[in-house]
Amino acid sequence: MIQNHGELSARTFVDVHAIQEELDQVRWGLHDGAGSEAAQHAAAEARASVSNLIAVVSNEPELGAISSVLDRLSVTNPSRTLILLAQHTRAADKLEAQVSAQERTESGHRVTTERVVLHAHGEPARHLASLAAPLLISDLPVILWWPGRPQFDTPLFDDLCELADRLVVDTDDGFDDADLARLLKVARRKKAQASIGDLNWARLIAWRHVAAQFFDMPGMLARLAQIHGVSIFHGSDGLTAQARLLGGWIRSRMATIGIDVPLEFRVDESFEHGVCQFLIYTRGDDGPARFSLSRLRGNRLLTQIRLGDQDLAPRTVRLDSRATEELLSIELTLPGHDVLFEQALDAALR
Amino acid sequence: MAQAVTTPLTQNVLRDGLILPRTPDPAAMVIFGASGDLTARKLMPALYNLALNRYLPSGFSVIGVADTALSEDEFRAHMADAVQKFSRTQPVDRAVWQSLAEGISFVRMPFDDESGYGRLAAELDRVDRERGTNGNRVFYMATAPQFFSVIIDRLGNSGIAKAGEGWKRVVIEKPFGNDLKSAQALNKAIHSVFTEQQIFRIDHYLGKETVQNVLVFRFANGIFEPIWNRRYVDHVQITVAEDIGIERRGKYYETAGALRDIFQNHLLQLLSIAAMEAPPNFDADSVRDEKVKVLKSIHPIDVGKDVVRGQYGPGWVGGQQVPGYRQEMNVMPTSNTETFVAVRLKIDNWRWADTPFYLRTGKRLPSRASEIAIQFKNPPHLPFAKTAVEELTPNWLVMRIQPHEGASLKIAAKIPGPVMRLRTVNMDFFYGSSFMVESPDAYERLVLDCMLGDATLFAREDEVERAWGLVDRIEAGWASQPAPPFPNYDAGTWGPADADAMIEQDGRRWRRP
Repeated sequence: MIQNHGELSARTFVDVHAIQEELDQVRWGLHDGAGSEAAQHAAAEARASVSNLIAVVSNEPELGAISSVLDRLSVTNPSRTLILLAQHTRAADKLEAQVSAQERTESGHRVTTERVVLHAHGEPARHLASLAAPLLISDLPVILWWPGRPQFDTPLFDDLCELADRLVVDTDDGFDDADLARLLKVARRKKAQASIGDLNWARLIAWRHVAAQFFDMPGMLARLAQIHGVSIFHGSDGLTAQARLLGGWIRSRMATIGIDVPLEFRVDESFEHGVCQFLIYTRGDDGPARFSLSRLRGNRLLTQIRLGDQDLAPRTVRLDSRATEELLSIELTLPGHDVLFEQALDAALR
Repeated sequence: MAQAVTTPLTQNVLRDGLILPRTPDPAAMVIFGASGDLTARKLMPALYNLALNRYLPSGFSVIGVADTALSEDEFRAHMADAVQKFSRTQPVDRAVWQSLAEGISFVRMPFDDESGYGRLAAELDRVDRERGTNGNRVFYMATAPQFFSVIIDRLGNSGIAKAGEGWKRVVIEKPFGNDLKSAQALNKAIHSVFTEQQIFRIDHYLGKETVQNVLVFRFANGIFEPIWNRRYVDHVQITVAEDIGIERRGKYYETAGALRDIFQNHLLQLLSIAAMEAPPNFDADSVRDEKVKVLKSIHPIDVGKDVVRGQYGPGWVGGQQVPGYRQEMNVMPTSNTETFVAVRLKIDNWRWADTPFYLRTGKRLPSRASEIAIQFKNPPHLPFAKTAVEELTPNWLVMRIQPHEGASLKIAAKIPGPVMRLRTVNMDFFYGSSFMVESPDAYERLVLDCMLGDATLFAREDEVERAWGLVDRIEAGWASQPAPPFPNYDAGTWGPADADAMIEQDGRRWRRP
């Protein structure tokens, strides 16, 4: 796969019609050769937008980092991207917009995606959704990515959620229980209801996958019904959202068959951050069993099963250390409400 | 406090929402021909990538079997080198490889040596005992085809194929026979030991993401199926073109030719997928029933009129001068083996009656391309002036399997200006542009499917035999003709002139892929 990235143009506007016009120019490739047939053909074969992506950043330094993530994301999810920087505290009302096109070449075919950075100060910062709405490509889903802790109680949050089909957050980014509860409320509200995606939930795929595999093994399914406890060890930095979600997941799954699983959370001082160990205890006709997943240095998981006093063959598998754009990509491909996540979130809070 | 459930669980609730419905059972894969090219280039890298992505079960084990002087450690080192060299994901994760390698062992034996099967049985018992594989076995025939029957016979006689608990499956690589008679004999030999449900005949083309995407394209989009029939389709062209020659496979190719090497399997698989009816669901028998119906419905071929064969002479491909087929290594200087075949087929059913399907495959063609191209009929009436539309070409829908995987639709559009002038333009979907992620290798998908017992993407007995029946009819026709005037196309051209003449008789032309 041959790839080449480059920025085609970057121009600044303040009027929504001018932004729309510039986007059309960028979208249909009229900059190269001023609308030549070749340029139009090249542009026509390059369109592969899969979504509108709105990212909200809280300050100017964050803008560069978020832009880099979105650049890399465009490789798997070519989208029209709007980056919103709302600064309510500045006194003077001001609105700036910058339109640019990112180009890459893949196997000889040019793919172009557009990006608009909207930077608002003062009153316009409260109404950025009204500017974002006309800039979206019709008939494509709208994803709202809010890095950091969203401003849940602001009109901007509600307005953007109303525009969006999906809100993507990262609960690993300092979310406490109150934030998790607010997130669940967003998922469940009747009006402006966006489905919720969480990069932290995507990080747990490997843990869920391997834990489920234990009970695919012949004879092990019966033990699943005999779970009597789960211990989750997490890092010492005090951030527990990931561990809570993992616990919420197994609790919510087992609740579907009428089993209430007691959860125990403990700190593992040897790791700073994230889930380190996941232990499932069961009873069984041939004695107790312990199913364990342990994080190893170097992004690996060690799986072990102890049946009575017998250890079965251990296994080492990869624990994907996914970059933000990869996690976003996973969240962007999920259709509709992620019911499992919402149930896990609910169970984590109970 | 946890409460016990009163009724036994029937499904793993922790699996909800995960991509795979289940993990394969712990199993031992016995690879016959473990020191060969296929194991090194395809199988072991596929197993490593499955392990890396957590698709293999705990306790999964590999027993390599070959008559090669290798110790167990040397065999593991050979496999490690193979993964290092051929894995699609790099760098290789040493800990994951080590975890997989702990389950790899080696048994040296000639494939016909009965005593060797006693040692193999003992090794399988050890693996069951120590790694919990519970008698589940995949026997993978990665050998030359002449050993298939011998190995199956010994597996039966030694009791390994039926011993104890657990499931037993056998994977057979292509070529599955070299004519109908040998395919039937091989089927009979395998069925003397294994049932049809235990047999997995691989055509790796079916494991390709883009071939499966043809099924999705047809049956998950409501807009195509209504026009996918004789009323709207003028004809279909299916091409598997290769720009390479026979490389070092002269000895094999002399006994196979393009008809057996590509037409019998890849081309007929693509035909079946393009022409089949929608299956009621995607299970093995539903899909294969529909594919077999297509093969059953092929109108008897008039070999003299409907088939063209060719062989390349010297020429230029991609700016390089290349020898003719008869000058290749291990090829007879007077060889009449075909390196090109074009076939005109008709399918006798309500959907396709009188709609020609043109299939072609060849070596040393100008470029590499596999595609299914559908030409739609012209509109019944054009309200535009004749001068405005005479250059208009028909609508084509092209599904590209490789390279540049995706689909194109050729449509007419108005050229901007004060007068009505039309031009044909392409609407392209590039698989890579929308899903720029690396696809798994076909072998990963197929090995995993086999371990899960899903035979949807494997060829069934009747499918293979139908395909060979068609090949035999063509071979018989050729046998009754005078020797062909080979070579009859230059390397770097699109095949012999007769192939052009065949389609031009019908007022059509081959596409340039």
